[in-house]
Amino acid sequence: MGDVMQPREPLLSVRNLHTYFAQDEGTVKAVDGVSLEMNAGATLGIVGESGCGKSVTARSILRIVDRPGRIVDGEIWFRRLSANGGAGSRAVDLAKLEPNGEQMRSIRGAEIALIFQEPMSSFSPVHSVGNQIIEAILLHQEIDRRGARARAIDMLRRVGVSSPDQRVDQLAHQLSGGLRQRAMIAMALSCSPTLLIADEPTTALDVTTQTQILELMRQLQQEDGMAIMLITHDLGVIAEMATDVAVMYLGRVVEQAPVDAIFHAPKHPYTRALLRSIPRMRARSRERLTPIAGSVPHPYDRPTGCPFHPRCPDFIAGTCDRQTPGPRAVGDRHTVSCFLYE
Amino acid sequence: MSAVREPRSAAAHAPLLRVAGLRKLFPIRKGFLKRTVGYVRAVDGVDFHIDEGETLGLVGESGCGKTTTARCILRAIDPTGGEIAMRLADGSVVDLTTLGEAELRAIRREMQMIFQDPFTSLNPRMTLLDLVGEPLLVHGMKSRREREQRVADLLRRVGLRPEYMRRFPHAFSGGERQRIGIARALALQPRLVVADEPVSALDVSVQAQILNLLFDLQEEFRLTYLFVAHDLSVVRYISNRVAVMYVGRIVELGETEEIFTAPKHPYTAALLSAVPEPDPRTRGKRIVLPGEVANPAAPPSGCYFHPRCPHAIEVCRTQTPAFQETSPGHVVGCHRAHELRLAGVE
Repeated sequence: MGDVMQPREPLLSVRNLHTYFAQDEGTVKAVDGVSLEMNAGATLGIVGESGCGKSVTARSILRIVDRPGRIVDGEIWFRRLSANGGAGSRAVDLAKLEPNGEQMRSIRGAEIALIFQEPMSSFSPVHSVGNQIIEAILLHQEIDRRGARARAIDMLRRVGVSSPDQRVDQLAHQLSGGLRQRAMIAMALSCSPTLLIADEPTTALDVTTQTQILELMRQLQQEDGMAIMLITHDLGVIAEMATDVAVMYLGRVVEQAPVDAIFHAPKHPYTRALLRSIPRMRARSRERLTPIAGSVPHPYDRPTGCPFHPRCPDFIAGTCDRQTPGPRAVGDRHTVSCFLYE
Repeated sequence: MSAVREPRSAAAHAPLLRVAGLRKLFPIRKGFLKRTVGYVRAVDGVDFHIDEGETLGLVGESGCGKTTTARCILRAIDPTGGEIAMRLADGSVVDLTTLGEAELRAIRREMQMIFQDPFTSLNPRMTLLDLVGEPLLVHGMKSRREREQRVADLLRRVGLRPEYMRRFPHAFSGGERQRIGIARALALQPRLVVADEPVSALDVSVQAQILNLLFDLQEEFRLTYLFVAHDLSVVRYISNRVAVMYVGRIVELGETEEIFTAPKHPYTAALLSAVPEPDPRTRGKRIVLPGEVANPAAPPSGCYFHPRCPHAIEVCRTQTPAFQETSPGHVVGCHRAHELRLAGVE
């Protein structure tokens, strides 16, 4: 799998995406001009703090933005497999599709799958875990119920669930947090997606369980060749998993680059400040940290110009507060949106 | 029962807090008659002390008993057994587990708590003045003017503008709310502050501000912290000493630098290696532990960690390890503490 893509043609290309939430108090511009590119089989890490729009970007791609949220502008080009599964593929603009139309339903869950942070609330409490995986398989594949059950058990075994033929009939609450997340991954991968979107997949887990789950995702990616969009606030998880990284702040991608460049040659003042502010395992104890001044602004209270300018140490008065910087290439696959580089 | 107070001279060099043999069992009830069919051993024989002005980090994964330990010390819940000796401002030492409600109330002003979630721990119908001033009122500061003065001082000290004291918590960001919680905890000038995951609900860029603030307040007011957290990088930053818990027991305790660079317990080593470093060049050097954390209602025999331990030998399956001191002040509950060579962080 995975090699049917044309080289150099991205699997996913998000262009100038805007997703707004119109509310009585004003419009929340949750995603305000996001552009991203992902190649088949790659792992793109999307990192940012609360309210940066990373989850809404993912939900926009899957067309499951909750009301009153709406894509108001932009394109989401996704390269689909051809019907016969052979060579050749065609791209569709997901932003133009009907959210619950036939085409979107045949993509969602089958070609693009999602795993969430909280596996407890993503499984139904009254149906067995196995039945929910079986349902997903029956929905997207031409296979009978017995075959689907065998495939569900097989998937549970692949994700490291012990005695899967018994676990398949258990309810979600009978499984531990780590096992639920494994079952969720089994469900997501049961239809062999080309893109897996993982939204904070290990945030609710303990650190030794997180290690197991990240290891599992890495191994399954090697075997199946799917691309992973990994959304997290944890720079450690990003460094561990991603091939490329997009740093988001207040609805925009401020910097995108290969993982090594983000951590060892960051360009945007926000990326640099973020990396300076986090406590490190290798630092000496009781050594002062360098925090970022202020806090993330309230969504109704967006700053003008560059959204980071009120907290930026390199703020240029008269420029950063008036104009919004666009993305600019500063190196190989490395773009940054900042007036320091214009 | 009344408090047993040790004479002043004997207590002069006692630690601020000494916990010995602390246990908390929660009964498991089943059936129509709610008969007790077993116990969850949430805290199962915990010993440590904290010196005045020091920070002890208490780390472990969910369900290890770190929060239950903290709540027992504050007597938010009653421990099943053990001793919690606190040295009071007047120099006397008192066992908190023996105190009744009235005696506790007087002592509570010396120990305060900072909570994890600044969104649920502040009453949304109270202004900052009421929130921070409430403990002052409860402990006898009746004059409103005096309270306003003190609240203004406290807000300024934690980095908030006193002009905001008539606003409600919803007008503030997560980091600002945590500052309000800290101001409230400091209102009565406590000596012991128990902080339960105080930065884990905050944005990464705000965590550093709050950690630096806790650090400064400690220096200024000579505070003693019991810092409960699951994030080891945060614990390394704030703690003088660290205690690592696993299934209701401390498995290793020592100076922060020693715990991080030369761990002696295989669980500590695995925990340290599991934390992903924000550096892609260190990728993939992880100890992946098999299985899951043991069930505290039905823990395994011998050492609770043996089913997951890469270094387990026969004795680990049958006997509970005793504490061994591997170097002064560094204690480890592992049969092989002296022979194993474990890697820490560089």
